[in-house]
Amino acid sequence: MITTKSGKEGKTRINYNNDFRWTSPIKLPHMMDSYTYALYFNEAAANAGQGAKFSDEVLDRIIKYQRGEIDYGTIPEPTGDRWQYYTGSNANTDWFKEHYKSAAFAQQHNLSASGGSEKNQFYVSVGYLDQGGLGRHTHDDLQRYTFTGKTTAALTEHIKLNTNTKFIRQDFEKATHMSDLFYHNIARRWPTVPVKDPNGYYTEPSEINQLEEGGRTNDQDDWLYLQGQLVITPLKNWNIYAEGNYRIRNYHYHSDVLPAYAHDVQGNPFPIAVGWSSPGYTSVYEYNRKDNFFNSNIYSDYEFSISDNHNFKIMAGFNSELQKYRTIGASRSNLITPSLPTIDTATDDSKATEGQYQHWATAGFFGRLNYNYKERYLLEVNGRYDGSSRFIGSKRWNFFPSVSAGWNIAKEDFWTFDDLIQMFKVRVSYGDLGNQNTHNWYPFYPIMPVNVNSGSWLINGERPTVASAPGLVSSLLTWEHVKTWDIGIDVAFLQNRLNINFDYYNRITYDMVGPAPKLPATLGTSVPRINNADMKSWGFELEALWRDRIGDLSYSVRAVLSDDQQKVTKYPNPTNDLGQWYKGRKVGEIWGYTTIGLARSQEEMDAHLSNVNQSTMGSKWQAGDIMYADLDGNGEVNSGSYTTDNPGDLSIIGNSSPRYRFSIDLSCEYKDFDVRLFFQGVGKRDWMPNGSYFWGATGNMWQAAGFREHMDFFRDENSVMVKAGIADVNKDAYFPRPYFDNGKNTYTQTRYLQNASYLRLKNVQIGYTLPLDLITRIGISKARFFVSGENLLTFTKMFDAFDPESVGLSGWNDGKTYPLSKVISCGLNINF
Amino acid sequence: MKDNYINTISRIYLLLILIGVSFISCDDYLDRKPLSDVTPSDYLWTEADLAAYAVGQYSFPSHSGWGPGVFSYDNHTDNQASSSYSNRWVPGEWRVPQSGGEWNFNQIRNCNYFLETVIPRWKEGKISGSKANIDHYVGEMYFLRAYEYFNKVQALGDFPIIKTTLPDEMKILAEASKRRPRNEVARFIISDLDSAIMFLQVNPPAGKNRISKYSAQLFKSRVALHEATWLKYHKGTPFVPGGNGWPGEGYVDDFSINIDQEIDFFLDQAMQAASAVADAVPLTTNTKDDGYNSFSNPYFKMFGDEDLNGYQEVLLWRAYDPSKGINHTVNHYINRNGGNTGYTRAFVDNFLMNNGLPIYATGSGYHGDDSIGLTKINRDNRLQIFMKAPGDLRYIDVTNADGTPILEGYPAITDIQETRYVTGYPVKKGMSYFFDQSEGGQGSTGCIIFRAAEAYLNYIEASYLKNGYIDSKADQYWRAIRLRAGVNPDYTVTITATDISKEAENDFAAYSAGTLLSDKTLYNIRRERRCEFMAEGMRFFDLKRWRALDQLVEHPYIIEGFKIWGPMQYWYVDKDGNSILIEPDTPGKTPNVSKRTESDYLRPYRINLDPSNRVKDGYSWISAHYLSPIAIEHFNITATDPTNPKTSVIYQNPGWPLQANAGAIE
Repeated sequence: MITTKSGKEGKTRINYNNDFRWTSPIKLPHMMDSYTYALYFNEAAANAGQGAKFSDEVLDRIIKYQRGEIDYGTIPEPTGDRWQYYTGSNANTDWFKEHYKSAAFAQQHNLSASGGSEKNQFYVSVGYLDQGGLGRHTHDDLQRYTFTGKTTAALTEHIKLNTNTKFIRQDFEKATHMSDLFYHNIARRWPTVPVKDPNGYYTEPSEINQLEEGGRTNDQDDWLYLQGQLVITPLKNWNIYAEGNYRIRNYHYHSDVLPAYAHDVQGNPFPIAVGWSSPGYTSVYEYNRKDNFFNSNIYSDYEFSISDNHNFKIMAGFNSELQKYRTIGASRSNLITPSLPTIDTATDDSKATEGQYQHWATAGFFGRLNYNYKERYLLEVNGRYDGSSRFIGSKRWNFFPSVSAGWNIAKEDFWTFDDLIQMFKVRVSYGDLGNQNTHNWYPFYPIMPVNVNSGSWLINGERPTVASAPGLVSSLLTWEHVKTWDIGIDVAFLQNRLNINFDYYNRITYDMVGPAPKLPATLGTSVPRINNADMKSWGFELEALWRDRIGDLSYSVRAVLSDDQQKVTKYPNPTNDLGQWYKGRKVGEIWGYTTIGLARSQEEMDAHLSNVNQSTMGSKWQAGDIMYADLDGNGEVNSGSYTTDNPGDLSIIGNSSPRYRFSIDLSCEYKDFDVRLFFQGVGKRDWMPNGSYFWGATGNMWQAAGFREHMDFFRDENSVMVKAGIADVNKDAYFPRPYFDNGKNTYTQTRYLQNASYLRLKNVQIGYTLPLDLITRIGISKARFFVSGENLLTFTKMFDAFDPESVGLSGWNDGKTYPLSKVISCGLNINF
Repeated sequence: MKDNYINTISRIYLLLILIGVSFISCDDYLDRKPLSDVTPSDYLWTEADLAAYAVGQYSFPSHSGWGPGVFSYDNHTDNQASSSYSNRWVPGEWRVPQSGGEWNFNQIRNCNYFLETVIPRWKEGKISGSKANIDHYVGEMYFLRAYEYFNKVQALGDFPIIKTTLPDEMKILAEASKRRPRNEVARFIISDLDSAIMFLQVNPPAGKNRISKYSAQLFKSRVALHEATWLKYHKGTPFVPGGNGWPGEGYVDDFSINIDQEIDFFLDQAMQAASAVADAVPLTTNTKDDGYNSFSNPYFKMFGDEDLNGYQEVLLWRAYDPSKGINHTVNHYINRNGGNTGYTRAFVDNFLMNNGLPIYATGSGYHGDDSIGLTKINRDNRLQIFMKAPGDLRYIDVTNADGTPILEGYPAITDIQETRYVTGYPVKKGMSYFFDQSEGGQGSTGCIIFRAAEAYLNYIEASYLKNGYIDSKADQYWRAIRLRAGVNPDYTVTITATDISKEAENDFAAYSAGTLLSDKTLYNIRRERRCEFMAEGMRFFDLKRWRALDQLVEHPYIIEGFKIWGPMQYWYVDKDGNSILIEPDTPGKTPNVSKRTESDYLRPYRINLDPSNRVKDGYSWISAHYLSPIAIEHFNITATDPTNPKTSVIYQNPGWPLQANAGAIE
């Protein structure tokens, strides 16, 4: 049960808080300058047996532009009408700097009032947040407004009514062109592409035209929470609660695509594509979603004691949830004028894109019994009986019990260390909870996949409605059972100045919905997922808190350390194929090859190849390539049969689960100052990166990247860069030879496994409270001014182009998402 | 006090009753069915449902994404070359995959689901709508199943025949994984096509974007001819059922084969189906212009027109409309640049003169190949119109700023890969003369899927192989094709003048099973097919079924382009008049052409002589590459002993090992 701030009886209090924040991106990669980049790409092409990507003529222009001898970033194509880009242009642009502002600004304000009398109390607050985005050309912006009103009223001596009303509105807008594709494209845009063409117009590949002119997307998200609770106390220590929550969400989304233009050599505009639309296309899309969520809780509790030492509390009740939503979407293309992007002012292709109804419901009965003897021996027993609309028939209802017991040794009569240790509680608990692990709201109903007017084979000029075979549903899908054992110790030392809490738990999820088992391909469709796996999770959490004061200085230190691991304990995989879960597999396990090293000369590689055949990994091995280890001694490097019994030369080289998560919170107050420092980090984590942010020139040249962080690659005397005089021979390099369209050196392997552990100064805050005598004269009871910084310092061994907190987030490859930020803020708290 | 007590008790009872009532209605409260999704029991009852399901399964090779579309599908053959090379020509580099691959049954299941659901309802007359259309859609589904099965036979050869959807039970699925011999699968495909032909209409509902009876007959002739020639030319090898070393030995129940009988059967089927189309559908007229401006030439326009409904020769085509999100970029390449492709010298030289003589014959009138324009003089009109030459018109609706027409320039052989004229002989098929078509992402020209000319050629080849002479229908069809192509319709002139040993330098198909053909008529039938299907993606299909690649094992073949080291080298100079051509081994520079000392002709794979270029010594071959390997995971899943893939009911294709990531062994 969650509680929020409430009113208290007495004088009315008013409170005002604000804060102002400046956010800047951290850990953005540094693009190579254009000349280095061009030679890097030529080198990767030469290594792959392909022709040079940049001709001598273009390289010449690139150098001249860098030296300032020419001032144009590109020249026209031979056919004369368009500008050249990429391999034909010669500018020197850092695209990260071009697309990200150095800082974004946000401000937040909150005003609240509370008060009341003995019988009735109230609390009201309003808030406002305005936050700008980091994109220079995306103009993304967020505003949030909140209103909260709470009342508590004693209707009669025995009946109390609590109400809580909350309204939140959030408005967000951005350029329509800004999407996952946009982040993917920043890294793969070459520095040789100029921001503006010689006529002064933004170039087509800069994507700036599309962002600035290509239309806006905005959404308005309204949440309204209404809560009413009746508390009836028929007798002393017996309460009956009847609570209803109603939450309404109204979400409206608007997106328009407006024409964006680039310019040709003569300065004539021509239309270009915005997002995935075709050039010159204009359209508007409106979408609305309405959610109604209702939740009821009816329960009662009763406390009583027997002979003053045996204390009991019993509770029993019922709760239910019902979630319903409906959507409607519509679009039209061909706006009459770009200044009126609405459906009423568009003429073609009227489409209703969706209109759906969805719902789910849950219900449950629960009961709890608490018992303690003199606060010395504690016992709690719980039971829940839950049902869900997602499951049908005999699978629907399940019973979930749990029990916990504790012993506060410090309350024993024989405890003599009262002055040293005030509390020494040992706890143990066991619980069985249910989890409905399926994203599908109707997993037992087979659905015919019918897509209206969206087939890609045009019939008579129109997209036809298409249908296909339904997938399989498994009638066996049911609840997962999560059984948890936990033991813990809570100790309070030295007059409660030092508190230590320690927990160790062991949890097994039975009947987990694991990945679908593999069946022969003759089935012709995906195998339905069923509860076929068990997983064990275990770990500990240790928290220590020290609070003390020395004269005018009061301070506290809070340190938390936790660790957990997960392992698969059951899964149907008779061959123990490494491509799926198998018994004993730890979550986050990384299987990879072992690297002996980079061959520094052809002789070194030949000597290695005379013992070990790497032909399944690639061909034409030379200096600057990887020498893989032949772990199973069969003279060949391969993945065996890709099973645990025969993994070939693969082994477990690391684990990507974050281990030993810790945080340290230091705060102190001295007279009118308060300071807080908060560190957070991960003690151990391995990460195998992928994609061009890490490897640089890899895959085909349109997906490659070239950052300064990639420069430490193998170069011998024949290297394109060495011959051009801009880099030295580098045989002790970190990265191997770069190749386009060749992955022989980029397999998951020990050499490139990154250490993703880190320590980060997450928050520093310094506050100053104005002296009372100064402020009481103007009716203020407390005024505090603060300055704070977030993510100011990071210590990590991870590869420079990545942030250890953002690896593994979504995005096309590692690193291609909204960058993590550093924030500096300041603000004021005032109480009247 | 007592009142209070009674009140309390009654309140407790009330609470308990409330709880009890809520418990009973709880279950109903938790019954939540999907409110806006169709369940299978409500679907496939009307004509519209059947039409939607059928069109949802259409999947034909057509223009898509970025590139010259189907006109580049002949890359990596002796017809066309791209700047990169395919691993099919490098024994050892095409490796057995761990998972995925062609051993996939999803599309087959989609077809089977439809047939087993719809046919009982159809037989009972329970499907509502027009009978003719309902029959037609049932026919379409038989066709689509046959089409998918033919993809499997081409890629893998022997394949399991599955006619129903299967349950998710390991035993049944493993049993169903047993491969049947390819000739049996081909017969099954033909029987599905016979059903399709019975129900499909000649003029489909909603026009030629949908499958028609003629498409099915044409496709049947393609399937039958393919199987007949495969069995004939691969006879005796592990690649035919019952052949020497066939891996299916011992795996296939109830197996017997009379190979010559099978070949005869398929040739008959091919002839009968092909003539049904060729007799009924005429060829599009060719005005036989000289290639400068083919805008008004129906035969040229057919490949690059937005609406193909008016061309009778086109049996099935795909339409595009960028405003609906369906587009391609064919002319962004074909009109504007080389599209990273180009015809080989061998292919260009293989075309006849318009008098019917090969270029090397005395009195042919061949003008030599010192320039692209010269090669076209008095040649087969297909070469004249379907290959670009400097000075050809590009756009009909825009001009240069000074009013002069926009013309094709010199082929940019040193351009970046994506737009390079790889061989110097540029592809023009599919070009549109409208400026909008060549904008990126704006392609809306239609893509031909089936055209009747194939039926003509299928008949000629099938009947010749069956009879040993050109019968009257074959004679009629061959003349029609040649007449349309602007070549002397008397094919005997060509046959007499053919010297196969000279043709062998330019044509893999001069060989079968490693030996030169001795039959000049048969050779010219193959040549006619090669020329008619210029840039349409049929070449590798033909080379494999004719077993025309064995000779590369001993004698790798080097691909050549135009005569760069003749007068055309002077096209490639910078503004100061210096050559921009750089040969290999020029110190400090990256080469962009091959060495003049090696050959007068541009050799695209001899520019980069680094050992990482695996085709620098020519295209080679290994017989395993006639079929694709089956991925290892499929063996592992169906094996009775999970650690030993050899215990699976599936057997690997000949020459491929049972090891992931390993290359072919023989």
